[in-house]
Formats: sequence, C-alpha cells, structure tokens
Amino acid sequence: MPKLIIDDQEIEVENGVTVLQAAEMLGIEIPVFCYHPKLSIAGNCRMCLVQMEKSPKPIASCAMPATEGMVIHTQTPMVKKARQGVLEFLLINHPLDCPICDQGGECDLQDITMAYGGDSSRFGLNKRAVPDKDLGPLIETAMNRCIHCTRCIRFANEIAGVPELGATGRGEHMEIGTYIEKAITSELSGNMIDICPVGALTSKPYSFQGRPWELSSTPSVDVFDAVGCAIRIDTRGREVMRILPRQSFQINEDWISDKSRFAYDGLKYQRLDRPYAKGKDGRLHPVSWDEAFNVIADHFQHLPGDHIAAIVGDMVDTEAIVALKDLMNAIGSPHIDCRQDGSKIGYGPRSSYLFNTTIAGIEKADFCLLIGTNPRWEAPLINARIRKNYLNTGLSVALLGAPHELGYPVEHLGDDPLIFEKILKGRHPISAALKSAKFPMLILGQGALKRNDAEVILGLAHKIADKYNIVHQSDPWNGFNILHSAASRVGALDLGFLPGPQGYGVSEILKGAAQKKIEAVYLLGADDIDVSSLESTFVVYQGHHGDRGASVADVVLPGSAYTEKSGTYVNTEGRVQRSFKAVSPPGEAKEDWKIIRALSDHLGFELPYDSLNDVRARLVEVNSLFDELDTIQKASWEDFGKEGTVLSEPFKATIDNFYMTDSISRHSVTMAKCAQEIQGDEQRNQIHEK
Amino acid sequence: MKIPLKVMFLKNFFLIELFQGMWLTLKYMYLKKKVTLAYPYEKGPLSPRFRGEHALRRYPNGEERCIACKLCEAICPAQAITIESEEREDGSRRTTRYDIDMTKCIYCGLCEEACPVDAIVEGPNFEFATETREELYYNKDKLLSNGDRWEVEIANRLEQDAQYR
Amino acid sequence: MVSIDLNNFWSSAFQDLLVLVGYILLILVGLVLAVSYLTLAERKVLAAIQIRVGPNVVGWFGLLQPFADGLKLIHKETIIPTRANPFLFILAPILTFSLSLSAWAVIPFGEGWVISNINVGILYLFAISSLGVYGIIMAGWASNSRYAFLGALRSAAQMVSYEVSIGLVLIAVILTAGSLNLTEIVEAQKGLWFIIPHLPMAVIFMISALAETNRAPFDLPEAESELVTGYNVEYSSMTFALFFLGEYANMILMSAMGSILFLGGWLPPFDIVPFTWVPGIVWFSLKISVLLFVFLWVRATFPRYRYDQLMRLGWKVFLPFTLFWVVLTSGVLVTFNLYPGS
Repeated sequence: MPKLIIDDQEIEVENGVTVLQAAEMLGIEIPVFCYHPKLSIAGNCRMCLVQMEKSPKPIASCAMPATEGMVIHTQTPMVKKARQGVLEFLLINHPLDCPICDQGGECDLQDITMAYGGDSSRFGLNKRAVPDKDLGPLIETAMNRCIHCTRCIRFANEIAGVPELGATGRGEHMEIGTYIEKAITSELSGNMIDICPVGALTSKPYSFQGRPWELSSTPSVDVFDAVGCAIRIDTRGREVMRILPRQSFQINEDWISDKSRFAYDGLKYQRLDRPYAKGKDGRLHPVSWDEAFNVIADHFQHLPGDHIAAIVGDMVDTEAIVALKDLMNAIGSPHIDCRQDGSKIGYGPRSSYLFNTTIAGIEKADFCLLIGTNPRWEAPLINARIRKNYLNTGLSVALLGAPHELGYPVEHLGDDPLIFEKILKGRHPISAALKSAKFPMLILGQGALKRNDAEVILGLAHKIADKYNIVHQSDPWNGFNILHSAASRVGALDLGFLPGPQGYGVSEILKGAAQKKIEAVYLLGADDIDVSSLESTFVVYQGHHGDRGASVADVVLPGSAYTEKSGTYVNTEGRVQRSFKAVSPPGEAKEDWKIIRALSDHLGFELPYDSLNDVRARLVEVNSLFDELDTIQKASWEDFGKEGTVLSEPFKATIDNFYMTDSISRHSVTMAKCAQEIQGDEQRNQIHEK
Repeated sequence: MKIPLKVMFLKNFFLIELFQGMWLTLKYMYLKKKVTLAYPYEKGPLSPRFRGEHALRRYPNGEERCIACKLCEAICPAQAITIESEEREDGSRRTTRYDIDMTKCIYCGLCEEACPVDAIVEGPNFEFATETREELYYNKDKLLSNGDRWEVEIANRLEQDAQYR
Repeated sequence: MVSIDLNNFWSSAFQDLLVLVGYILLILVGLVLAVSYLTLAERKVLAAIQIRVGPNVVGWFGLLQPFADGLKLIHKETIIPTRANPFLFILAPILTFSLSLSAWAVIPFGEGWVISNINVGILYLFAISSLGVYGIIMAGWASNSRYAFLGALRSAAQMVSYEVSIGLVLIAVILTAGSLNLTEIVEAQKGLWFIIPHLPMAVIFMISALAETNRAPFDLPEAESELVTGYNVEYSSMTFALFFLGEYANMILMSAMGSILFLGGWLPPFDIVPFTWVPGIVWFSLKISVLLFVFLWVRATFPRYRYDQLMRLGWKVFLPFTLFWVVLTSGVLVTFNLYPGS
C-alpha cells in the first residue's frame, strides 16, 4: 500500500495502481490519449507526462506504478512545457481538418489542445499523407488524422479478441491497418470508433450527417439482445442520428455490439405509420384507428375466448405485455405465449430462466461450460466478459454445441446432447475439470432450450449443477445460467405471459390455426414464427415494421419501436431497466400499451389504466420485482426440469446471421452490408481453413 | 464641484437646464448644415466590414467552398441557419441543404467569423427587400447565386479588410 | 291672440341650421387640414433639429406628404384581432376622434367667431378633454392585448393625474378673468395677457398639456421601446388614422386653450395700429402655431420620463404648487380689491 503525494495531496493506493490512476482518485486531471481504463497500458502518446521529484525527466504517469514516497507535480512550468511539446509533435502530422471531421466537437485532441496546447506550430514542412484503409461497412477511416495511440489495436486484440489490426512501419512511416484490405470481423468493432481519441476512425453510416452539439441524448436500453446494454440515443429533431454506449459496469462496461449501434437505420425503412385493414380484395388498405379497432371488435365478438390467441415478440416492452395479458384474460383466452422461438422454459422458479451468475459475476468464474449457445452472437457483451475473464485469469471454457469461433480458446466437446448425460455421470473427461473448479458456471443457450427435450435437458442441467457444486449453498455463487436472446423474454416470463392450464404454446397455436381451433391471433411484434400457417386465420399484427407478421395480418396496428417509447425491460440477469422516449413514433403510430388500452374499449373490457404510471403500477401489482429498477433480486435455487431421455439430435446454432435477427435489423441497410461483407468474409475464411 | 443646495433649487425651479437643452436643439435647427442623403439617388460609403445580404462563395474553379462544418449554424445567435449534410459522391463533405431565414437573421456577422473557409459571407448588398415573406427564406441555390453575383466585390472587400484581421 | 308665422320660423331655423352646418364643416375641414400639416410640420421640425431634411419628395418640400400618408392608411386593411371585442374596438377610435372635434364648438377664433358661445365654455372644454381617456381605455381593453392594455392603464392614470393640475391652473385664470366664458376670458386680457401675471401657471399648463396629450416626454402610454406604441398597437388603417388624427387634434386644441387662457386669444400683442390691422384669427392661428412648435421642440429635446417620475411630478410638485398659486391669486385679488366685477 504505497503512499504518495500528488500536487501536495497525500494518497494511499493499492499496489499496482499507476500514478495516473492515483491522480484520478484525487480528482486531478491529467490529459491522455493512449491510456484507456479498460485496455492495457501502452504509454506511447506521452501526453500524460508529469513531474516527479528526484527525476531529471518528466515521467509518463499512465505507465508509472505508484511507489512509496513519490512526490508528483502536475501543474509545474515543466509539465506545461512538456504537454505543449507533446501536442506540437502530435499536431505536426495531424491535418487540422476539424471542420470536415466528424469527431469535431467531441475530439480528445481538439479538447486537449485547447486546454493544454501552445498557440502555434514551428513545423513548416509538408505533412505526411497516409492512404485511408477500408475497414468494412461500419468504420470510416481518415488515417491522416491518426496519432498512433494504438487504442484500436489494443481493443481488437484484447476486448474483441480478433487480432486483425496492427501497426506497420516505424516513426513517421507508422501506419495502422489490417495489412491486407479486409473488414474487421468483430461484432464489437464499432467501439473502436468510440475509443479513437481523434477522427481517424469514425462511423461510416453517420459520416458527415451531423455534429455532436446538434444532438440531444436520451438514456435508453438496448433491445437487440437480452443483455439490456445501457445505450444513449442521440437524436436530432425526429430522427435517430446514432446510438452510443452508456457506461454501465454491471452490464456492458463501455461497449455495445455493432447491431445495437448501427441497426438504427432500420427504424427509417418499412415502418408501419398508420393502421391498415384487409379489404374485400384481400389487400391491406389504410384505415383510421377507429375503423381498425372496429374490424377487430367485429371479429373478436363472434368468437369464443378460447379461439383467440396472442403471441408476444422479442422486442416488446413489459408495459405492452402486461396490457395484452390483461386484455387476453378479459377475453377469456388461455392461449398466450411469449416464446416465439419455441423454447420451453418459464414454468419453473425464477432461477430456472435467469442468468443467475450475473454478467459482472462472470469475472469470478474459473470454469465455464457452454451448452447449445454461441454467446458471441447471442450476447456479444457476455462473450466479451468471458473473454475478459479469460485474459485476466485464464478461464477455461468448454462448449457443447455447434462449434463457433468465440474469441478465446474453447474446448469443443462436440454437439451430441448425450455428452451432457455423460458429464452428469462423471464419465466425460471434462467432469474432472468441472469438479476441481471453485466457481464453475454453466450457460444454457436457446440452442438447448428450443429442443423438444428441453425440459429434460433443463433437469439434467439442474442435476449437474447440484452434483458439481455449481450453485453454492453458503456463499451467493450461483453458476447456473440461462442465456436468452430476446429482450422481452425475461420480462414476459416474470409477468407470466405463458399458456394457461389448457392454453396452447406457440407451436400449438400455429397448429390450431391450421385446424381452425384458433380463429384469431394477436401478434404483438411477433415476426419470427412460421407465419405461413396463419394465412387463413384472422391475424391482428401490432408492431413497428412491415415484416413477416404484418404480411399475413388482416389488421395492422402501428406501434412504436424501442426508441419511440418509454418502456421497462428485464434483461437476462433479471435486472429491471427503464428506457426513455427519444423520438416520436412516425405518422399515426402510438405507444403499444396505449393501442391495447384503446382496443380494450372497443372490445368492451376497459383496462383500468390511463397513464404510463398506472400501467407501471399494474406491473408492480402483477410482479413486485418491477418495483426495483436496476437491481438484481437473487432468485432462490429450487427444483425444476423433468426426468426423461435426451434425444440424440445434435445441438444446433440458433443464429445464422448475427446482423439480421429481428424486424429492425432486417430492414437496416447497414446491417445488410455487414452481413454481406463481414459474415461473407468469415464464411469464406472458414471454408478456406477447412 | 458641489453645487450649493440653494442654487440647485433655484436652478430646478426655473427649469434652467431644460431651457438650456431646448436652446441647444434650437441652435441645431438653424445653425447646422443638413446631413441628409437623398437615398435612392445618393448612397453613403460602405465599410469593407459592412454586413449585408448573405452569400455562399465558390473557389475560382467553381467548386463551392462550404464544407458543411456547421459552425455557422452552431454560432448563429438567432438560429437562422439550417444545414443538412451528406457525403457527396466524390467522398467530400457537402451540404445538401443550406437555408438562412433572413427574417430571423440579425446581421451580427458571426457566421462569417466562424466560417473556416470563407464560404458564408455577408456581402455589401443591403437592398434585397421582397414582397413576400417566403422570398426571404434563402436556400442554398439563392445563396450561391448571390455569391456568384457579388463575388468580385466580396473578394475586393475581404482583401481590403484582411490586413486588419 | 298672437299669431306666429310658422313658415317664417321654420325657414329661419333651417337657415340657422344650414349656417351652423357650414360653420362646423369649415372648422372640421380646417382642423383636419391643420392636423395633417401638423404631422408634416412635426416631421420637418424633428428633422431640422436632427440636422436632417425631412420629407421632401412628395410635392414641393414634401407638402403633399400628408395626403400620401392618408391615402396609404386608407388603402390598408382594417384588422380586428380575433379575440378582441369588435364593437368597442371600432367604437374607441371614433369616440376619441369625435371628442377631439366636439371641443372646438366653444373655441372663439376671433371676436364673435364662435359656434356656441356658452357661459361655461371652459368647463365644457375641460369635460370634453377629460372624456378623451375613455377612448383610450376602451381601445386598450377591447384590443385584448397586454401591450395595449398596459398602455391604456398608463394613459388613464396619467391623464387623470394631470387634469388635477390643469383644473387648478384653470381656476387661477378664471379667478382673474371672472368668467367661465372663453370669449370673456380673452376679453379680460385686453390690457395684459395672463401669461405675465400667471407665468408659472402658463408653464405648468404647457407641461400638463404635454402629459394630457400623451406627448413626449410624457409619451409613456405609447413608449415604443416598452409597449410598442401602447393602446393603439392592434389598430391599423383608418381605425389607427382616427386615433392619430384625434391625438393631433387634441394637441391643437390644447394649444388653442393655451393661447386663449394665457396669450390673449385673437388679441394682437399690442393694441396699436399696425397690429390691429391684422385680423384676430391670424393672431390666434399664429399663437397656436407657436405653442405647437413648442410641443414639437420639446419632443425633439427631452427623453422620456420614467413612470414614477411622471406621477411624482404631477402629484407632488404641480398639485401643491398650483394649489398654492390659486390661494395666492385669490389672496392678491381680494387684498387689493382687484377681483373682476368689484
């Protein structure tokens, strides 16, 4: 525990803390370019120079560990001169094209030069010119602006786990690039744009679109996967201009996935902006809200309650889910389901469908068994945490399921579910590793839970958890995890949006529709089902995109996307989070719960809430855990799962195309380009390797 | 100098200062030479810094100067400027829309000060009254055509003023 | 039996009426002309004091400018604000204008040149000029605009305040003249204009007249910089023109009052030959013109008063001083047995 003095303030810090970090704790600002708290230390920008007593030269504070008795000064003439000198050197080859640079206004180099720089340059020669690199459809490069902080290289190597970026050449001839022209194949590549302290890496879709001072930011929650990343929606007027991560140590640290960041342009295309109803000619025609509601009411009134079903999609907020649940209860239908992918969980205790370890908890694990999941695509930020743990402690990971490159070494056990039984019986080589682990964790993905024998696998997993001490009795370690991929899923399960005693699940609803047992289906943003079996059924589609669901609908009710409403979501850990409305929905579209509330009037069952606060009060009424935001309530460890035999059918991957998983990203031009370039690249590489 | 209270009172009572003021204005009425200009026929001299109607300039090769940095939009205290930008086909940063609401503009000249490429300038023209309000919502075409029309004079003025900047 | 020649009676009454209408028309046309040229004079005087030329394009020396202005105003659209009270909104300028005209009924332009030589002429004048405030209050309220309303409130308070001092000034003059009849007041000044014995009163009257007509430096009700012209902000076209005419007619009226009360009306300055050859109406017009010039001159010279200063001047300076002067006048008249009719 060294003690040191910085600017006449004494501080005692842990071993290994650097001078820069110690100064930060004291609230003393030291300008930096290459240092980033989440990356390894490079010490190559020299911006953080400070004066240390008894040292003839200034020291790089980011790379200097604090030691006993150090006396540091950050405000002396020497430091000032050193900073001015460093900035003058950095600006020698920086083009100063701030007016056309997208980083202008939020640029570290700009800000630090304003604060610490000198007034002029003594360099009179030509600046160097570096050809721009093609890093794929997401990252725009202007390599003239690069100051060689190597943050992007370290990010690619450390966080993303794709060592594709590097520096070639030395000194003035140093260039950052992929060496061969190729797109970065990381699903986290967008974060390089954020960490680049200058405008060398900027966002391609946002290129030249706006200025940071024109944007207003709204804190929100990401819905493209079940991680519930904290995001910031930057808007100008009625348009979403870009999406950035918000810092959240418990969930996404400083990062978000490329889908969360860049799929927003899908919000501009193929939107449902007014109600439609099918006319006599079998085509959808624009109608007014009242007409649309009347068509629904005419149909529903002639049907017995149990001939109507409702399915909730993957991006729906819990407010809308609870409203729809109340509506279906009032109609008297038990056929409600939120698991449009057909997974078979939700009836057990809460611990049977949560990511119990929590995302931050992954860092504590010392063994990780992945079953039927590809976390890199299903939950990139959880994958990044696993990689972080791998880098810090050398976490060993085993995968049972379809093989996939995850960005860290994985022992692939095969994709045969029978191996799972072997592990339980201790007859598999991995059992020993599992047994010796202190904090083992097990992640069951949707690939395992979509199967027909999902409940048996769940039961097996429970037994394994019990046998291998995955769930500790004494300390709060719970290594049993379900990894969801739908943002609405945990919330819907918490609200009990599941088939009642005689109710049908999704597959039975679809089958029932073919057999005329179900005559009307209410799809709330549900697009990823086999809609072909609904063609002869009366379908009400409520959602924001004219996607698969709307294509078979008889009545289309335009809802709002996640940027257009204040909603409550529960992430895969069971964390209740709230997003805020950033822009207004297009045209006549409305908030989803309001649509259901208005429809209930026309059906003659007035739902008892008129404001968002009322709906949220209703959420708490249904499940009290909605009362506490941003906290995780520990789920108790109870019995769940079924006895039975495991089918021999191998585990299959659930996501074929990371960039197009839902109605928004399917309509995003950026995502289409990504799928074409990046995924195409990757597949070509794999073929090549084989 | 302190004026005694008595003198003050008398001064006030007899309205001395008021009459002094009236005498002054009366003198102006008869003694001064008139300064009026017969405006449409005679015009006063304009400083090179005169801030009149806006114009968007071009480079001598015909390329528009504006690079859509939006600094003028940001600094405009009357929020009269609206810019939308996009990457042009050749990859350069250009405006797709450059509007000035001349009814909002307060002719402060800050846009001109902010412009890093001398694209937006307030030219010497001040006779641009219109019959309808709509005509005062200038768009990019109008501003560029202003620039083309006034370029010689604008360049001349900028040159005259350059030595003081 | 007394027989009355009814025919003769009617015809003579009709004749009288015709003559009266003729007089009224004469005054009206003269007055409107005077007002329009007053506006030109104002612009010219202000221009001269500000070393400018003033209007000089329409006609010689801009002499047709008032007609151009009038034509422009007539051609404009009369706008009635949506939430205004249309009846009162229209009535207000009519009231203001007609009141400023009706006061002229008792003004003697020369010896016997008066439409109605009533005995309480000065009271009538006072009453009419006080009624002017109603037009302004109505305009301010009916416009349903906060600027107009504030302007009207200020105007009302100001006019009420300065009427008090004007009233007391009048009493001093009446005491000296011994009559309420305007002709007799003028006659009473045959030897000595009242401006000599009542100089302070004349000054106070002049200042109060400025306040009464809402002229600079007491133009608070209009205060362009604060109230964007106050009570008439919502008015356009002829409704505005009526206010404008009324205001300027009031200025002329106050000048006429001033010359009747203090400058001997139509009387020549010296009762000797070359002066007596000039008709009384010319002297009267000349005196009015001088006073009107003072109105304009003051406007060009002084900045606007603050509202509290205005009120202080009215109530704390003019009221006590005029009261004192009334007592002094009556004291002197009684002591030296000078009062008229003694």
